[in-house]
Amino acid sequence: MGALIEFQEVCKYYYMGDTTVKAADHISMKIERGEFVAIVGQSGSGKSTCMNIIGCLDVPTAGTYLLGGRDVGKMNKNELAEIRNEMLGFIFQQYNLLPRLDLIENVEIPLMYKGVPKAERRKRAQEVLEQVGLGDKLKSKPNELSGGQQQRVSIARALVGKPAVILADEPTGALDSHTSREVLSILQQLHRDGNTVVLITHDNSIAMRAERIIRLEDGQVVYDGDSKSPDALVQAHIPEDEEEEK
Amino acid sequence: MSYFETLTLALRNISGSKMRSFLTMLGIIIGVTAVIVIVGLGNGMENYMRESFASLGSNSLNVIINGRGSARSVSIDDMYEVVAKHSDVLEQISPVASVSGGIKTGNEAHRSTSVTGVSEDYLDMKDFHIAAGRGISYMDIEDRKHVCVIGDFVNDQYYEGHGLGDTVRIRGAKFTIVGILESETEDTYVGNTDDVVFMPYSTASRVNGYGTIYNYNITMHDESQAALAKQVIEDALFEIFADSDAYNVISMTEILDFMTTMLNVVITVLAIIAAISLLVGGVGIMNIMLVSVTERTREIGIRKALGAKESVIMRQFVMEAAVTSALGGTIGILLGYMLSSVATKIIQIALDPMLAVTPSWDSVLMAFGVSAGIGVLFGYLPARKAARLNPIDALRYE
Ligand SMILES: Nc1ncnc2c1ncn2[C@@H]1O[C@H](COP(=O)(O)OP(=O)(O)OP(=O)(O)O)[C@@H](O)[C@H]1O
Ligand SMILES: [Mg+2]
Repeated sequence: MGALIEFQEVCKYYYMGDTTVKAADHISMKIERGEFVAIVGQSGSGKSTCMNIIGCLDVPTAGTYLLGGRDVGKMNKNELAEIRNEMLGFIFQQYNLLPRLDLIENVEIPLMYKGVPKAERRKRAQEVLEQVGLGDKLKSKPNELSGGQQQRVSIARALVGKPAVILADEPTGALDSHTSREVLSILQQLHRDGNTVVLITHDNSIAMRAERIIRLEDGQVVYDGDSKSPDALVQAHIPEDEEEEK
Repeated sequence: MSYFETLTLALRNISGSKMRSFLTMLGIIIGVTAVIVIVGLGNGMENYMRESFASLGSNSLNVIINGRGSARSVSIDDMYEVVAKHSDVLEQISPVASVSGGIKTGNEAHRSTSVTGVSEDYLDMKDFHIAAGRGISYMDIEDRKHVCVIGDFVNDQYYEGHGLGDTVRIRGAKFTIVGILESETEDTYVGNTDDVVFMPYSTASRVNGYGTIYNYNITMHDESQAALAKQVIEDALFEIFADSDAYNVISMTEILDFMTTMLNVVITVLAIIAAISLLVGGVGIMNIMLVSVTERTREIGIRKALGAKESVIMRQFVMEAAVTSALGGTIGILLGYMLSSVATKIIQIALDPMLAVTPSWDSVLMAFGVSAGIGVLFGYLPARKAARLNPIDALRYE
C-alpha cells in the first residue's frame, strides 16, 4: 500500500496583476499512516496553502496530490466533500465552532453529513467530548467556554468521524502556553493511539513535539526529516523581517 | 442529512432571530391577507347576488312589450299561445301588472307594500304557498273581481294575523282578502318578500287605468335552458312585430351570469394587485436571504470543510426561505380570516345583513401554495450563491 498522503511536484500560484505569488512551488513529499508531522516555516512560506491542499479545501495549480492512493485532482466537488467528511479532520486556529449550536451539536456535524442516525451521532459526539475532557459541558454553547476548551471541542469534532488524517493549522496560535501544552498533549496522545497527525506551526518549540518536520520557505521544502536532528531548526536564511501584510 | 433535519434547522434559524424573520415575512403576510379578504369579499358578493336573484326567480323570464317601431300589438291570448306552442321548453305564463301607490288599511297608508296583478298560475310559478283561504282563480280574472291575496307580513302587521275576509283599499277601490300567503322570508323590514298583495291582472289593469298588459312572466322547465327559452320567445315575438325594438326579453339567469362575470373580473384584478405584493414579499425574502448568506459565509465554509455537499447547503437555504415564506403565508391566512369576520360584522351592520365576506378554501390553499412557492423561487438564488461558495474563501471570510 502506498503512502497516505503523497505530493508530486505540487504547485499553487496566485496571480496578482503581473506578479505571481508561488505559495507552493514544486512540493514533493510523502506522509505515511500513523506519522506525526509538523509543517513549519515563516509567515507566508506556504504552510496554510499546503494544509488547504492536503485538506481538499483547495486544488493545486499544477502537480498531483494523492490521498490514500486516489488522485484528488480528478475528483468533482461532491467527491471532495465526501473525502473531507470521511478522511479528514480539521482543527483550526480560530476553532471555527458554530456559535448557535451546543457542544454536542457542533461535534456531531461531520456525522450528520455522513448520514449517521441521530441517536448514534449523539452517543459518539458525547464519547469524543468526554475523551477531550468536556463530558460535563455537553449542552454549553461555545462562547461559554475558554479558548482552550473551545479548541478541545474542535479537536473532538475533528475526531468524531474517525478520519484518516487529523489536520491542525496553528491549533495553539490563539492559546497561552499552558493551554497550548494541553492541546499538544492531546494531539500527541492521538498520535500514540495510531492516528496520522499533520500539525502546522511557525513555532519551533511546538514543532519539536512531532516526530518529523517539514520546513517550508517561499513555497519550497527546505528540510524534511527527523525533528530531533539539529538541521530541523536551522533556517536556510534569515528572512527580511515582517513581511506579514499581504 | 434528512429533510426533517433540514426543516428543524431552518425553524431554529428562523426562531433564532424572530424580529428579522417577522419583517421578512411581512410582505407575504400582507399579500396573503389581502388576497384572502378580497377573494372572500368577491365570494360574499356573488352569494349575495345569487340569493337576491333566486328570490326573483332564476327559472323565469320577463317579457316587456313596448310596441316601439311597430304598428302591431300582441294580446294576452297570443302570449299564452306562444308558451303553449313551445311547451317543451316553456312551462307557465302570467301577465304582470304592477299597481303603484301601496295599500291602505283603515286610515293608514302603507306605500312600501308591493301590489301586483297576476294570473291564477303566478303564485305557483313563484313558489308561494297559501296559508289560509285561497289563491287567485280563473273566475276572478274573468270577472275582474276585487279580491286579493296578501303576504304574511301584511297580515301580521296590519291585521294582527286576522286579515282573511277583511278588506284593503288600493287606489281608492276596496278589495276583499280571500287568501293569506305563507311566510317566505325571515326578513322583517318593510318592503320584504312578504310585504305583498296580489290581485287578478285584469282587475289590476283596470285599476291602473290602461287596458293592455305590458309585462309577462314566463317560467321554463329547466333553469339551464334560459338562453334557449329566451331565444324561443324572441323568435315568436319577432314574427309578430317584425321589429326587435318592440319587445324585450330579460332572463334573470343571464343577468346573474353577466353580473357574476363582471364581478369576477373586478375581483380577479384586485386579487392580482394583492398578489403583486406577494411578489414584492418574495423579493424581500430574497434580499434578506442574500444578507443572511453573506453573514453566514463563515458558517458555510465550516460546514463545507466538515463535508457538507453543495446540495445540502442549497437545501438548507431554500428550506429556510420556503419555511419563512410559508410561515408568513400561514399568518396571512389567519389574519385574512380574522379580517374577513370583522369586515363581515361591519358590512352587516352598515350595509346589508345578507352580505358576508366568505373566504374560500381554494384561495387559502392557493395563497399557502403560492407563498411557499415564492419562498422556494426567491430562496433559490441566495441558496445557490451559498452552495457555490469556495470553502477556503468562505473559511477566511471575516
Ligand atoms: N487567496 C490568495 N490570494 C493571493 N495570494 C495568496 C492567497 N492565499 C495565500 N496567498 C499568498 O501565498 C503565500 C503563502 O500563504 P500561506 O497562507 O500559505 O502562508 P502561511 O505559511 O500559512 O503563513 P502564516 O504563517 O502567516 O499563516 C503568501 O505569500 C500569501 O500572500
Ligand atoms: Mg497560515
